[in-house]
Amino acid sequence: MKLKISFNSLRLFQYLILLIILPLVSTAEDGADSIFKKGNEQFAKRKYEEAVSSYQKILNSGYRSAAVYFNLGNAYYRTGDIPSALLYYEKAHKLDPGDEDIKMNIQIANLKTVDKTDPVPEFFLFRWWRGLILLLSLNTLAVLSIVFLLFTSLSFVTYLFTQSVAVKKASFYTGIVLFVFSITILFLQNRQAHYFNIHHEAIIFSGSGTVKSEPDPSSKGVFVIHSGTKVGVDKKDDGWMKIKLPNGNTGWIRETDAKEI
Amino acid sequence: MTLRHYILLFALFFTNWLYAQNTRFSASASKSEVATGEEFEVTFSVNANGDRFSPPEFNGFQVLGGPNMSSSMTSINGSMTVSTSYSYYLMAVKEGTFTFGAASISVNGKTYKTNPLRIRVVKGRPVPQGSSRPAPAVPQEDFEESQPEKLSNSLFLRAVTDKNNVYQGQQLTLSFKLYTRVSIVESQVDKIPDLNGFWSEDIKNTNQNVEWKEETYKGKQYHVAVVKQTILFPEHSGNLRIDPVEMTFIVRQKAPARTLMDEFFGTYEDVKYKVKSPPLTVRVKPLPTAGKPQGFTGAVGQFKAEASLDKKELKANEALNYTLKISGSGNLKLIKEPVINFPADFEKYDPKITDAITMNTSGASGSRSYNYLLIPRHEGDFAIEPVRFSYFNPASGRYETASVQGFEIKVNKGNPSENVVYSGAGKQDVKLLNKDISYIKTAEPDLYKEGKEFHGSVWYYLLLLTGPLIFAGALLYRQWDKKNNSDPLKVKSRKAGKIAARHLANAQKQLSENNSKVFYEEVFKGLYGYLSDKLNIPAANLNKESIAAELQAKALDDRLIRQLLETLDLCEMARFAPVTGISANEVFEKAKNIIYEIEDKL
Repeated sequence: MKLKISFNSLRLFQYLILLIILPLVSTAEDGADSIFKKGNEQFAKRKYEEAVSSYQKILNSGYRSAAVYFNLGNAYYRTGDIPSALLYYEKAHKLDPGDEDIKMNIQIANLKTVDKTDPVPEFFLFRWWRGLILLLSLNTLAVLSIVFLLFTSLSFVTYLFTQSVAVKKASFYTGIVLFVFSITILFLQNRQAHYFNIHHEAIIFSGSGTVKSEPDPSSKGVFVIHSGTKVGVDKKDDGWMKIKLPNGNTGWIRETDAKEI
Repeated sequence: MTLRHYILLFALFFTNWLYAQNTRFSASASKSEVATGEEFEVTFSVNANGDRFSPPEFNGFQVLGGPNMSSSMTSINGSMTVSTSYSYYLMAVKEGTFTFGAASISVNGKTYKTNPLRIRVVKGRPVPQGSSRPAPAVPQEDFEESQPEKLSNSLFLRAVTDKNNVYQGQQLTLSFKLYTRVSIVESQVDKIPDLNGFWSEDIKNTNQNVEWKEETYKGKQYHVAVVKQTILFPEHSGNLRIDPVEMTFIVRQKAPARTLMDEFFGTYEDVKYKVKSPPLTVRVKPLPTAGKPQGFTGAVGQFKAEASLDKKELKANEALNYTLKISGSGNLKLIKEPVINFPADFEKYDPKITDAITMNTSGASGSRSYNYLLIPRHEGDFAIEPVRFSYFNPASGRYETASVQGFEIKVNKGNPSENVVYSGAGKQDVKLLNKDISYIKTAEPDLYKEGKEFHGSVWYYLLLLTGPLIFAGALLYRQWDKKNNSDPLKVKSRKAGKIAARHLANAQKQLSENNSKVFYEEVFKGLYGYLSDKLNIPAANLNKESIAAELQAKALDDRLIRQLLETLDLCEMARFAPVTGISANEVFEKAKNIIYEIEDKL
């Protein structure tokens, strides 16, 4: 009787571990994985166009990954298609905001664009806050929140059942600390998701476009924008896109002139 | 002062007086009595070199010619005589007695006047008044009045415009025409008017010789030549005055015969004659404000506009020529550069202006081309918008607009090395310039299907809940456990089965070792211990009777109670004597079944 019970609880724990680990371990089909490897080989052999099509094939089959976006951006960069490179770098950045390689390549690719828009100076706390919520990718945060919450629970369970006063005390305080961590991570996760929800951005793809004051081709041109420039997207209306530059300028362009990140 | 000085002063004074005595300025007429319509000559002569001669007013007479100046110098016995005479040909117009005023002349700084001259005019043939030139609107100049009427009628200048009532900026042709009926020996232009208020352009006459034409003016035939032709563009509105042109002619005239020889051969004399054209006023209307188009740049006339582009497709950083050609007649040279909306991203240079404008009597016409050099710096599709060129058409009195086609331009990617514009590269940028992009990521990618991100998935929420669920479960379990264990008797009764099981397990071990004595003891202890705990009977009161009573009180069936008591008896007996009739295994099974059954039912 007793043996049976202990066996069952062990099996339950195993399932639990598996459930946590499973999403972390790649579940992709071998196809996408091998195409990725093939793309990397083509890239290493400087066959950048072929690498582009390999990576695109992965994306076309519905898979997403910061690494694929990043490598595709690199391949485009090497073929000289800077706007496309920036588009995929930014997509990679969105999936993995903390990655230094991605941030670096965005900076380098930006040197090859024409427009240099000086951003409006930002209050340092906002900058810090954005840095904090974009420190880790959403998926990492999601796994961390599960693990932290699990350990919080285990600490409290230990506190409930232990006989030793010392262990009881230690597990209690550990539980409190872990709990605060879990809540923080959940909050960051929520903020990051919210950030990407409200911050729509796009990369300009037309070599040179006049930004109009109204969504109307005959309206006055406000300023000129060139390919590769990242703009914020305020709203879309009937084939037009209201864009906002980092320096605060706004205007309308045709949706076909830009691709959303 | 010495006497010598006085003598010198006296001598000087005397000399002056002496000269003055010698200077005579006199007037004389060829006749003292003339008939109307008759010509006569008046001569003013001075026996010295005089200047600033001013004639008297010849009221009642017409000046036909003059002043004709003649000088003579004679030297007799070493003394030199100089004489100058000014003569006028006059014609009496009215009857009566007239007195000429004094003519004056200045000799050596001293002014001399002539004696007045009396002329009696008697009735003669009538003077044709109608043929005389009509008095111009502006007051006649003094000297012109002093000219002989005969010449002024046969030699004069006129300023003629093709239009007198124009709009501002509308072109008009101004001609200075010479009308003559006399032969001209020499001519010279003294003054050309400034033409203030106009923008003017002379019509170049390629023909060197003056072209004479016959023209009838006010009923008389004249030889007419165009002295000068100018195209005028009024710069502002209002009444604009065209100042006169001034010319000097030397006219060959028949001189009155004085001698028989003269009369026979005919005498001529060359007369210098100054002529001024009468001033002319041109009325200039302002351009109407109503309907003035926005892009109007002051073009007045009839125009056409066309644009051309040398290529429609090119690479970035290549040059492109856009030409806007405005042709027609009007103030082409005054047209301001039209506003053309080139794509904001094109580098634009100031236009090269090429004029092909001809000036002739009908006005200025031709074309003006604006050539713009454009350099697209970035690839893309661009459009040069249609240009609207507005002008004022004086013929219709309205503004008109010529539309010029627009162009679509496709700019392909140019040489990338030229295309990169590092503008405002800061320190950070310069530092980065030498860096290359980071290499691709070769580790296995964390691929997932789009829309199946772990964050936000069902799995995520389920897993997120595991922690709290475990905790909640633990909490519930602890509460249930606490409640269960609060009554020690119940705990004991619950644990009875387990203790019995332990005893039975031990008994089974003894049985396998064929240690029957210990086996029975263990079974006995197991049963007793179990019952004691289960039925909550203290060890002191524990006997068969109390057990049976307790079990009966718990409504267990008699068969089970009997079996239990039998087994207990058997075990008690087996401790002292060997058991027959029943195997140890059977006893063990029996005991086990009894415990299961009691466990089941209680």
